[in-house]
Amino acid sequence: MNTVRLVAENEWRLMRRSRVAQLALLILIALSVIATLTSIAHRDGNDALRARFQAQADQEFDGQPARHPHRMVHYGHFVFRPLPALAAFDPGVDGFTGSTIFLEGHRQNSANFGDVRQSSLLARFGQLTPAFVLQALAPLVLVFIGFGVVAREREGGTIRLLSAHGVTAQSLIFGKAVALGRVAALMLAPAVAALLWLTLMEGAPVVAALGLGLFYAVYLAAWVLIIVIASSLAREARTALMVLLGLWATTVILVPRIAPDVALTFAPVPTRLETDIAIQRDLRRIGDSHNPDDPHFAAFKARVLKQYGVDRVEDLPVNYRGLLAMEGETLTSRLFDDYAERQFAAERKQGAIVAAFGLVSPAIALRNFSMALSGSDLDGHRRFLKQAEAYRFDIVQRLNRLQAEAVTFGDDSNRNKDPEAGRRVRIDPKNWHDVPDFAYRGATISEKLESALTGAILLLGWLVLTGFGVRIAIRRLEAAL
Amino acid sequence: MTSLIRHDLRLLLRQRIAVPTLVLVLILSAAAVWAGMAEVARQHDIIARIKPQQVEDVKAIRAWVSKDGDAGNAAYYTFHATWDAPSPLAFAALGQRDVAPFVLRVRALALESQIHEGENYNAEMALPGRFDWAFVLTYLAPLFLIVLLHDLKSGEREAGRLDFLRVSAVHERALWARRIGLRVGLIAGGLILPLLVGGLLSGAAAADLLLLSTMVLLYLLFWTVLCLLVSRRGMGSVANAATLAASWLTLTLILPALALLAVNGAFPVRQGVELTLAQREAVHSGWDKPKEQTMEAFFRQHPEWRGTKPVEGGFHWKWYFAFQHLGDLSVADQVRAYRHGLEARDLWTERLAFVLPAIGTQYLSHRIARTDLTAQLDYQDRIRAFHKRIRTFYYSYIFNDVPFGAEDFGRAPLWSGDADRR
Repeated sequence: MNTVRLVAENEWRLMRRSRVAQLALLILIALSVIATLTSIAHRDGNDALRARFQAQADQEFDGQPARHPHRMVHYGHFVFRPLPALAAFDPGVDGFTGSTIFLEGHRQNSANFGDVRQSSLLARFGQLTPAFVLQALAPLVLVFIGFGVVAREREGGTIRLLSAHGVTAQSLIFGKAVALGRVAALMLAPAVAALLWLTLMEGAPVVAALGLGLFYAVYLAAWVLIIVIASSLAREARTALMVLLGLWATTVILVPRIAPDVALTFAPVPTRLETDIAIQRDLRRIGDSHNPDDPHFAAFKARVLKQYGVDRVEDLPVNYRGLLAMEGETLTSRLFDDYAERQFAAERKQGAIVAAFGLVSPAIALRNFSMALSGSDLDGHRRFLKQAEAYRFDIVQRLNRLQAEAVTFGDDSNRNKDPEAGRRVRIDPKNWHDVPDFAYRGATISEKLESALTGAILLLGWLVLTGFGVRIAIRRLEAAL
Repeated sequence: MTSLIRHDLRLLLRQRIAVPTLVLVLILSAAAVWAGMAEVARQHDIIARIKPQQVEDVKAIRAWVSKDGDAGNAAYYTFHATWDAPSPLAFAALGQRDVAPFVLRVRALALESQIHEGENYNAEMALPGRFDWAFVLTYLAPLFLIVLLHDLKSGEREAGRLDFLRVSAVHERALWARRIGLRVGLIAGGLILPLLVGGLLSGAAAADLLLLSTMVLLYLLFWTVLCLLVSRRGMGSVANAATLAASWLTLTLILPALALLAVNGAFPVRQGVELTLAQREAVHSGWDKPKEQTMEAFFRQHPEWRGTKPVEGGFHWKWYFAFQHLGDLSVADQVRAYRHGLEARDLWTERLAFVLPAIGTQYLSHRIARTDLTAQLDYQDRIRAFHKRIRTFYYSYIFNDVPFGAEDFGRAPLWSGDADRR
C-alpha cells in the first residue's frame, strides 16, 4: 500500500509540474464554473419567467367578465411547466420541449416555445452546462493528462527502475490511478459545489443531488481506469493517446448520435397532423355530433331522458346542451388519452433502444441517469403533458357543468335571437374564480430513482468491467517487468 | 511527378493507421449520407401520406356542412394542410427539421394561435443532434486529419529518417507538399464522394454541390494549416497530437457552446409567449365589445367588405371572423419583435460563422440545405401568405352571404408547396 501512495505522489508531483496538465485542468475547471453560474442563472430566470406567466394567465382567467360558460371553454387556459432546481445542473430536454400549452375545449394543443426551435443551429452544438462539461469534456481532458501515465514509464525504461525499487505492477497501476483520480476529483469539485448550492439554497432534493454526485464520480472513475488500462497495454504513449481519443470520440460523440437514428427507425411516431386527422376520424366513427341522426348521440339522449323521466329535452331540469358538451368532451378526451398513450409507448420504446446503447457508451448511460435524477428527462415532460391534459379535461368539464346547471335550455337556445336570454346566459364571473389553478406535481424521488435505475446499473457495470480490465493490465505489466 | 505521388501513396498505405483511418472516413461519410437520405425519404413519405388523409378529412366535413351551406361552418371546421418539403440537399444537413414541424394544418381562425404549434417529436432523440454528413464533416473530419497529419514530420524525426529525407529529396518542400496533399486529398475524397453520389441521386443543383465541396476543401485547409503550425513548433508526435486534439475540443465544442450562451443571452425571445397570451386576450375580448366597433375596425383593414349587409342579432360569422383577424393584428408589433429576435440570433450565428470554422461549415451547409432557422421562418412566411388566401376565400362567401356548397370545398386555395419559396 505504501508503494501505491509513493507512485501516486510521484505522479501527482509530475502532473503539477506539467504546464500542459495544469492548463488543461484550469480550463476545464473554469468552464465548469462558467457553466455552473450561467446554468443556475438561466434556470432561475426561466423558472421565474414561467411562474410570472403562469400567475398572469391565472389572473386573466379569474378576471374574465360575465360570459356564457362555453365562451370560457374556448377562452381556455395557459399552463407552464416549472423547472426543477436540479435542471440548473442538467437541463436535459428542457430546451427541446415546449414549456407552455394552451388548453381549450375539444382540442389538444402542443407544448410550444422550446428554446431550441427559437435558436439558431448553434443550439445543436450542445449547451454548456455542468452536466455537459462532466459528461463530454472532462473525460477528454483526463485522456490528455493521463494517456502517458504508464506508457511513458515503459517508453522511457523507468519502469524497470521502479521495479528494482520494489514497485509491483499492481501498485504502479493503482498509484497512477489514484493520481489521475485526484485530477478527476478536482474536475468534479465545481459540480459538487453546484449541487450543494442547489440543495441548500434552492431546495433540490438531497437524495437526487447525492446520487448525481456519486454517479458522476463513478463515471469519471471508470474513465480514469480506462485511461490507465490503455496506457498500460499500449506499447507507446502515442498509441494509448490514439486509442483513447478514438474511444472518447466514439462513445461520447458518435454513438449518442447514431443511437437515436436506430431508435427512430424501429419505433416511428406519427406527426401531429396525422394524429389530429386520425382523432377526428375516430371521433366521427364513435359519435358524430354534427349528424342529427347519429346513433351514439341518439342513445345518449334516450338515456338522459329516461334518467330524468321526461319525454323532451326541453323538460329536463338541466340544460341538455351542457350535458351534450360534457358527453362530447368525454369522447374527445378519451381519444386524446388513447393517442397520447400510443405515442408515449413509442417514445418509451425509442428511449429503451437508446438506453441499450449505454452498453457500448457509458456517456449515454450517465446522460439518462443524470436527466432522470435532475427531473429534466422526457418522463418529466410527459408528466407535464399528462397533468396538463387532465387539468384541461377537468376545467372544461367544470365549465360544461356550469352550462348544464347555471344556464337554462331555453335561454341557451335563444341566446342569439333574444337579447334578454343572451344576457342571462352570461353567468357570474365568480365562477371562473372557483376553477382551481394548475399545480404541477414533479416526479417524486422514488419515481426519479426508478427511471434512473437502468443508467445506474449500466454505470456500475462499466465500473466493474474496467475493474476486470485493470486486472488484465496488471497481469500484462507483470509479464513486461 | 506521378510516380513520386504513387510512391508516397504506397508509403502512406503501408502505415498501420492510415488505411483504417481513410476507410473509416469513407464509411462514416457514406453512412451519414445514407442515413440522411433515409430521413429525407421519410419526410417525403409523410408529406405524400397526409395528402389523401387530408382529402378524407375535408370530405367528412363537406358531408354535413353542405347540407345547409353555412360558409361560416366551412371556414371554422375546415383545416388546410401546408408542408415544407425537404430540399434536394437536406440529406446532408438535416438541421432543425426534427424539432420544428414541416407539416402543419391551419384554418381561417386567428393565425397566431396556430402558427407556433410544435411537432410530436421525442426530445431525447433530438438532444444529441443528428448523425448527418455535416456532422461527419464538422466534427469527425478534423479528428481524422489530425490522426494523419500530427506526426508527418515528427514521426520521421522520431524514426530517425528526417535527415535522410532532407538530403535525398530534390525539393524538400515538394516532398512535404506531396505528402500533405495526398492525405488531405484522400480525406476530402472520402467526404466529397458520398456527398456527390447522394446529391446526384437527390437531384441537387451542381452549383450547390460545388459550393459544399469547396467548403470541405477550405475547412480541411484550415485544419491542415493548424496541424502544420503546431508541428512547426518541433514538439514530439505525442505533444502534437494532444495540442491538436485540445484545439479541436476548443473549436468544435467549447467555443460554439460559449457562443450560444452569448447569442441567446444577448437576444431574449420571450415575446413568443407574450404575444400568444396577448393575442388570446384580444381575440376573446371581441365577444364583449360592441359589434359595430369591431366591424368598423375590421372594415378599416378590409374596406372591400364595407358595403355588405350589416351584422344583426347575437351572433354572425362576419363578426366572428372579423374579431379573429383583429386579434392577430393587435399583436403585430410583438410578432415583429419576436421575429426580429430570432433573426438577430441567426444573424449573429452567421457572423460567428466567419470567425469559427466549425460554425462556418454548419451554418453554410444548413443554409444551402435550407434546414436552418431562416428556412423555418421562410416556411412560416409562406404559411402566413397561405392563411391570408384562405381567409380571403371564405370572406367572399361569408360577407356576401353566399351559401357554401359541396363543390365550393374544391375551390378552396391549395397549398402551392414549394413553388413560391423565397
